[in-house]
Amino acid sequence: MNALKRHRYRNAVAILAGILFTSFVVLQVNSPKIENPPVTSEFHGPEEVTRILKRSCYDCHSNETNLRWYDKVAPFSYKVAADVEEARKRFNFSEWDSIPKADQEGKLWYIVNMIDAGRMPLPEYAATHPNAKVTPAELTILKNYVTSISQKHYELGDTARIVEQKQVAQVPTSINGIQYFDDYKNWKVISSTGRPDNGTSRIIYGNDIAVKALEENKILPWPDGAVIVKVVWTSQAPDADGNVKPGNFNNIQIMVRDAKKFASTEGWGFARFSGLDLKPYGKTVSFATSCINCHQLAKGTGFVFDIPTKPAR
Amino acid sequence: MKSLIALIFATIALDACHDSRKLAPNPETIFDDHGLHVITSFHNDRTRTIAVLYGNDDALANAGKERDAHTPRVGTPGEVFKLVTWDLKQNPLWFGSNINGNVQSVETVTVSAGESGPAIDYAKDDSSQKKDENAVLSNAERISFIFAQRASVFP
Repeated sequence: MNALKRHRYRNAVAILAGILFTSFVVLQVNSPKIENPPVTSEFHGPEEVTRILKRSCYDCHSNETNLRWYDKVAPFSYKVAADVEEARKRFNFSEWDSIPKADQEGKLWYIVNMIDAGRMPLPEYAATHPNAKVTPAELTILKNYVTSISQKHYELGDTARIVEQKQVAQVPTSINGIQYFDDYKNWKVISSTGRPDNGTSRIIYGNDIAVKALEENKILPWPDGAVIVKVVWTSQAPDADGNVKPGNFNNIQIMVRDAKKFASTEGWGFARFSGLDLKPYGKTVSFATSCINCHQLAKGTGFVFDIPTKPAR
Repeated sequence: MKSLIALIFATIALDACHDSRKLAPNPETIFDDHGLHVITSFHNDRTRTIAVLYGNDDALANAGKERDAHTPRVGTPGEVFKLVTWDLKQNPLWFGSNINGNVQSVETVTVSAGESGPAIDYAKDDSSQKKDENAVLSNAERISFIFAQRASVFP
């Protein structure tokens, strides 16, 4: 009896091993191959900067992907291929000029902030490719670099010369249905920011629900109905005393909390209206994906960057 | 096995890094404007401060008017200004952005009708501990500074 059981058990193990082995072979054979398309417009920066980027980012964010043998073994190869495809879609150092010139600098700041937050290189990639990690000294080099390229943003224009108001015939409406409104001017200012990275000055307003959520520390998640409005001006050059004042009105950004309606973007609806004619940003509703991708960096504060904070105990 | 251990260590290390980004709201820094309007804002890297100038209807209307840059404004009876100044700190969530920290001071300028022209009252509520001797300006200079601010352009 015992001998029969053992025999059956051995058979089962053999069959299972056979299935596993066959699956493994099939997975290997069908394993995705990563092509390296030609480098069309490479990113150019100082040598010490490109050296860091090449080592830490290029395996996924370029057409010079250099896979290790273990990256090519299924099932890992599937994950690696998907990551490379997604990474190249986000931005590609080998096709750098596919990013509009005006957006390239912002992208570099985004890259540095992703590294600063420990989100890039992807932790699981860095764990298996320790060489890709960016050291604190290298991060400082990258921070100094982006700071150095963003020194010339100031506007000469004086607010005094740009007071004429353009009339907007209809209420500007974002493609996702969020409408511009004026009432935020009666809301409380929850914070104010100066952005040396892109040369703007901002005031951030919150409606009563948003302010109450801050007061009661109930922002994880923010309650439905919370609305945050950010008014953005292009900064003027510092005056003799070093004061940086707002110049031209640049854009207005609105975040509307509705966990169900905006479930695909972590419960936040985004809208941006640019210029005094308040032109809505985004041709398709998918524009908000790029908003939330960046706002992931503010996950700890419910995906909102500009709220007053203190270190949590 | 080695990579598993590496992964565990990486996760622990990452958690440690993220501690500095664990933040709680700090609503004490939000200024209660009691119905005043935002006139303008500015920040200063030298003094590490960021400020918002508020005003009542009269103050906002006058700060938005065209004016001769060479004639200093003396104030119109009825105007109330409040200049709120906060510490400037790096936004913990975004390298490249500065955000307000704690409130340093609130300066209030009130203009009323006096016997011979506008009477101007200046008061400063200073909650900051640090006093920069060199930066102390006379009240008259602060009043002129506040009067000189132009309204920001809103849509």
